[in-house]
Amino acid sequence: MAMPMRRTLVALHRATCRRLTNAEVSLDVRHPGPLFLPVRTKKRYFIPPAVGMKTKMEGFTEAKARAAGIVGKQENIERPINISCTAGVFDPYVPPEGDARLSTLSKEGLKQRAEQIRQSATSQLAIRKIKEHDSLFKTRDFAERAQEIFVEAHNALTQFNKEKLHSLVTERCYPEMTRGNRYKTIRWSFIESLEPPRVVHARCTDMVAKGNVYGQVTVRMHSRQTLAIYDRFGRLMLGSEEQPKDVLEYLVIERHLVNPYGRWRLHGKIVPSWAPAKDPIIKTVMILGPKLRPGEEFDALNHEVPKPAAVQWYK
Amino acid sequence: SLESKAWEKKNLKVYPPQLPDEPRRPAEIHHSRRQIKYSKDKMWYLAKMIQGLSIDEAIAQLEFNDKKGAKIMKEVLLEAQEKAVKNHNVEYKSNLYVAESYSGKGRYLKRIRYHGRGMFGIMDKVYCHYFVKLVEGSPPKTVEKTSFDQAKQYVQNLKSRTIIHSL
Repeated sequence: MAMPMRRTLVALHRATCRRLTNAEVSLDVRHPGPLFLPVRTKKRYFIPPAVGMKTKMEGFTEAKARAAGIVGKQENIERPINISCTAGVFDPYVPPEGDARLSTLSKEGLKQRAEQIRQSATSQLAIRKIKEHDSLFKTRDFAERAQEIFVEAHNALTQFNKEKLHSLVTERCYPEMTRGNRYKTIRWSFIESLEPPRVVHARCTDMVAKGNVYGQVTVRMHSRQTLAIYDRFGRLMLGSEEQPKDVLEYLVIERHLVNPYGRWRLHGKIVPSWAPAKDPIIKTVMILGPKLRPGEEFDALNHEVPKPAAVQWYK
Repeated sequence: SLESKAWEKKNLKVYPPQLPDEPRRPAEIHHSRRQIKYSKDKMWYLAKMIQGLSIDEAIAQLEFNDKKGAKIMKEVLLEAQEKAVKNHNVEYKSNLYVAESYSGKGRYLKRIRYHGRGMFGIMDKVYCHYFVKLVEGSPPKTVEKTSFDQAKQYVQNLKSRTIIHSL
């Protein structure tokens, strides 16, 4: 009992002392200190924080805040988006069947070589339009540049150099190249080019506005490459590092012509309908069979695995 | 701490490609479920029950267990099996076994429990996390030591003692 009493008395004494030393208060006026100072102010109970907050009406608080004039965080702020590539390949090139199988010296081979790009009118118009915007465009140099872009892009993919890859490959092609590859190791090497690359097709398209021109050029290249993909644990998933494969590819390279800083970047590949089937992956994959009703049996001998239709598609 | 997601980060580790003469590294899949409305002590019994079993056996045991946590644990195991086949290049979905499985405390909600005479208690609304590590391959066989073996070992230890500074 004596302790709390002393505490109250001490508090009063301190209060009066403070009053005396306060420079703001004039020396003549002396207000008496408070007689009843609360002493037992220590919190001795615990209330969990969730109890105090009852469900507030959410719309109610928003309206109140707006009425009071408090400005909340701005939602739906407009953000400009830069579209620097098209969504797909416009008017894709249909490669003739048996493109790589005929040699240049036979009659049919000569016929094929004769159907050069000069015959297709739309490609010529497109090339003329590209030369309007970029005067240094030449079909022969461009094909070699395209191959260089291809090689550099795939090297950047093996190192997974994001910035370099974005500058060499359009935004449409980037997720196709990198999907699922983040936690895998890819080893790719370009051994040699079997035929000089050729420009085969060209198109110019407008996106959104009339003058916003994008140029797409298809380049045909025949080369030898090795590819080996290892999964997260270092086990081989696909291909082999020593065995090279001959590859005939049709690359689509795109550039935003109107933009002075636009660059020719890899936009996609065209896979013809007559392309040979790729090598299977090393592991076995389960394909789900038909759904059986109770009582039916699964006929393993007559069941055929559905194969995809042989259609040209572009990656 | 209760908010750390270290278990999920273990799935992001990439090993360098193996040389052809090295033994094949078994795939490891880490999976977890957070904030399950169940007690961590009750979950622990189930977690230790399936530790060391193959995944098919574990799923079978949990399917016919009457506890609430068993149903949730079975869902987690099936999710982990699917992820293993889809994302982590596991060939056969039955070729997995449960290497590690344990439960941990989640973040609790606190409420007041009213007693008589104005007294109160703080009631914890209990949550738990559940962690599973699946490894590719058949489960390791633990050699069971019989009591006779242990006794023989004890006698052997006694016999192999050397007495120093003796004649």
